[in-house]
Amino acid sequence: MKNSKLATTLLLLGAAYCLLPVVWVLIASSKSAGELFSTFTLAPGTHLLDNLGDLSGYRDGLYWRWMANTALYAGVGAAVSTLLSAMSGYALAKFDFPGKGLVFNVILAGVLVPGVILAIPQYLLLSGIGLTNTYWAVLLPSFISPYGIYLARIFAAAAVPSEILEASRIDGAGDWRTFARVVLPMMRTGLVTVFLFQFVAIWNNFMLPYIMLGDDKLYPLTVGLNGLLNQGASQPSMYTVVVTGALVSIVPLIALFLTLQRYWQVDLAAGGVKA
Amino acid sequence: MKKTLAPLLASLTAAALFTTTACSGSDDKADSAGGGEKVALTYWSWAPNMDKVVEGWNSTHPDIHVTVNKQDGGDPAVTKLLTAIKAGSGAPDVMQAEYQKIPTLISADALADISSQAGSLKDKFPAAAWNSVTLGGDALYGVPQDSGPLMFFYRSDVFEKNGLQAPKTWDDYAAAAEKIHKTNPKQYLGTFSAADAGLFVGLAQQAGASWWGVQGDSWTVDVNDAATQKVAGYWGGLVEKGVIDNKPMYTPEWNAALNDGSQVGWVSAVWAPGVLEGSAKETKGKWKAASMPQWDAASPATGNWGGSATSVTSQSKHPKEAAEFIAWLNSDPAALKLLAGTANVYPAANDATSVLTTPPAFFAGQSDFYTIAAEAGKQARPFTYGPNVNVAYSAFNDAFGKAAESKKASAFTESLATIQKATVDDMKNSGFTVAG
Amino acid sequence: MSLTTTRRSIRRAGVPYAFLAPGLLLFTLFLAAPIGYAGYLSLRKVKVSGLGLGSKSRTEVWAGLSNYARSMTDPEWLPSVYRILGYGLIVVPAMLGLALLMALLLDANRTRPALSGFARISIFLPYAVPAVVASLLWGFLYLPRVSPFGYALGKLGIGTPELLSSSWVLYAVANVAVWGGTGFNMIVLYTALKSVPTSLYESARIDGASELAIAWRIKIPIVLPSLIMTFVFSMIATLQVFAEPMTLKPLSNTISFTWTPLMKVYRDAFVRNDIHSAAATSVVIALATFLLSFGFLKLVGRRAFDQEDS
Repeated sequence: MKNSKLATTLLLLGAAYCLLPVVWVLIASSKSAGELFSTFTLAPGTHLLDNLGDLSGYRDGLYWRWMANTALYAGVGAAVSTLLSAMSGYALAKFDFPGKGLVFNVILAGVLVPGVILAIPQYLLLSGIGLTNTYWAVLLPSFISPYGIYLARIFAAAAVPSEILEASRIDGAGDWRTFARVVLPMMRTGLVTVFLFQFVAIWNNFMLPYIMLGDDKLYPLTVGLNGLLNQGASQPSMYTVVVTGALVSIVPLIALFLTLQRYWQVDLAAGGVKA
Repeated sequence: MKKTLAPLLASLTAAALFTTTACSGSDDKADSAGGGEKVALTYWSWAPNMDKVVEGWNSTHPDIHVTVNKQDGGDPAVTKLLTAIKAGSGAPDVMQAEYQKIPTLISADALADISSQAGSLKDKFPAAAWNSVTLGGDALYGVPQDSGPLMFFYRSDVFEKNGLQAPKTWDDYAAAAEKIHKTNPKQYLGTFSAADAGLFVGLAQQAGASWWGVQGDSWTVDVNDAATQKVAGYWGGLVEKGVIDNKPMYTPEWNAALNDGSQVGWVSAVWAPGVLEGSAKETKGKWKAASMPQWDAASPATGNWGGSATSVTSQSKHPKEAAEFIAWLNSDPAALKLLAGTANVYPAANDATSVLTTPPAFFAGQSDFYTIAAEAGKQARPFTYGPNVNVAYSAFNDAFGKAAESKKASAFTESLATIQKATVDDMKNSGFTVAG
Repeated sequence: MSLTTTRRSIRRAGVPYAFLAPGLLLFTLFLAAPIGYAGYLSLRKVKVSGLGLGSKSRTEVWAGLSNYARSMTDPEWLPSVYRILGYGLIVVPAMLGLALLMALLLDANRTRPALSGFARISIFLPYAVPAVVASLLWGFLYLPRVSPFGYALGKLGIGTPELLSSSWVLYAVANVAVWGGTGFNMIVLYTALKSVPTSLYESARIDGASELAIAWRIKIPIVLPSLIMTFVFSMIATLQVFAEPMTLKPLSNTISFTWTPLMKVYRDAFVRNDIHSAAATSVVIALATFLLSFGFLKLVGRRAFDQEDS
């Protein structure tokens, strides 16, 4: 009994620690610019709707355009990336072929490369084909996720029994047909996880769109908010817009977490998703 | 599986459509390359409401359409421009460029020489501003847009309470800072901000420094000269005594301090009212603007903080039209009115005095605001920027950040040698000829 | 007949390559090529002549290894390396310790779905917050004048600690990373725990083992492979720490442009516009990351990366 009390307290403490900044931003976004820094910062204000209005009004609703852009980048990028990861992961998990080890190690190495390092060379290469400052500049590099391939390989290895593939082949089904009809459905749970990871990664990505895009109508939320923050430094009245924007920007992801909770379970080591 | 693929395909198609429209938008520019047709120009700027100023051009010039792409600020815009120059494409036609970045941009071959297209603009601008866009040569790399002569802003109510007057000299300033902090230990007359190299350079400029210079075919670098030493030692002394704060400006903390009356003065520039309007809202009406405190009251001088020109980039396919636009933007009376009124900038053009008649809203009670500003504008000392200002400025941030944290005057003056070395090493490594 | 079999087996041999092709193509274009290009750039430099102001006064030339030499001898380089080592010593144990503790607590509270559900979602929530936004939020909470803690402590008459001063700043940055990373690692470890059949504990419980002993002797060994993987990924993240200190930098005097190695890359590339030095430093960081992560995995027996069909 004593144990369980301690356990409850610790869990709630952990939750409180994680919720604290989120609660702060919720409260802060309900304050007017004047109140933001001058009143006790955990006492809520009454200006949430005004702030949302200001946010929407900022340059004719540019913020919502950023939101739509982000959804496009994350949605399309993650969807394509998931399909490619599934194909690659399946090939790596279920086939033996010369060069397999090399391919896998190279992809694994790709997991380790930070985005800051890639941004400028990617920009120089994409500008060579005239794609910078377009949606493609952000989408194309998002299509490939070494981490997604790594995860998909684990899922394919764990969720697709070789006997079933064999049976499908004996039935005379082609390889693509087998992949689409047998493999993908079996990997479905795992692929949703891959999708979610990539979705969050693109949603939160900053460096790539920051360097690729010049036109702020193409910005995702992270880059747009960063710009607002820079302006906040010299126009402090912008801070409430920044804070409200930060709050609104995490709402869709929180909704995604809550609705797809059961997919957020990933075993990095033993393989597979237990849903 | 069909169920999963269908929405995927749908979104892919949507993306393709989306992008095609996005692409065709930028295609217009290429199509219009031929003569006689409508020309489309892109313009990178971070000044607020610049799109509204440009509407004034677009409505009267149907053949040359300018689109403003809002930038995050001076540094990110330069970074993006230089990356685009390096890549060979992606730069705008027209670009807002801070004065201190112009040598860097010229050195990267990012700016077009528009001397043959700009006509006779020279007489419309103060000599110092004009010098920033010509570097003293025959080429013209832009048209001055705004300037930022240093001024001093203070809480007149606090000064009155302490029996103080606006400081005429830096000694007065130091005495006032001490008195104010002694009376109320929570109050400071200012802060030394290691994050704002631009302000420090303005102060060094006022004292007579010029960090770079050209001697024949080689550069000179003079960060650690007597004038800059004097300025660094002065501020280091105030920080060491604890009579001014040592935290950076432009943080939420600093904004709050201006608003709640803990920061009661600001050495800044003519554009300060726009900032104070936002950060010190609740103290409106209590502030006053004054000329800068002086080292030598007999020969008043000042420096600059901020200010920028508008330039045509070397990638523009329409330099002639672009030059026409920037000449209008920065010298046409209608445009100056829009710049001052809508974009809140202090235009560099001589004619600006005619459009700046009423003081800024935050200083509504001070009718001589722009008289003081104009006076300050005339007293700016000459200062030459070099081709690696960002190297010197980032070295300043790091070295003075440490010094400010240590609160030792000696650390302030010693920092200058570090900056000097970083700047010279970088120039030599790139192959610039550096004297000395 | 035999002809078709051969043909079929040849076609079959091509199958894995066909599945890999699109992924590999994009990998080559957007990862391998940029990395190779960075390697190339690191061996080049821009050479200016004279004042460098005339058009065409700069040319790109081979630099040999001089960019590397300059990067590695920069007086700020070693301090930044030591700094992230110290940072890693704070972040990795704190984050993984906390994640493990929370995962064990969640597992022990499986019978109370309301509590464990709430805790799980709350602790995972920071994962949804981009590092830039997270640092911004914590930045507000750190600054004494705008922080609710500063206010509360001030009311209590206690001085407000300067969390961004030189003695605390490392912990302040580490806290943002711990806050953002604990939830993800907790989920990984919790998933591993859930895969253990409860019958395994039951017998131990019947034998009178305490919950603590069960956790220590049964549960932790079971999640060890997952723990190793989270350790590797956390270590990589530590070496690449960037967004948090970069966002907090303007708020304080104590975070320099070269505070971490990746910040130096950013400074060289984006502030100093010297992409060649930046590329050289990038290559060094990437190599160090490879060596450390593969070396570590080799050390622990390549448990995780090497697993085949299970």
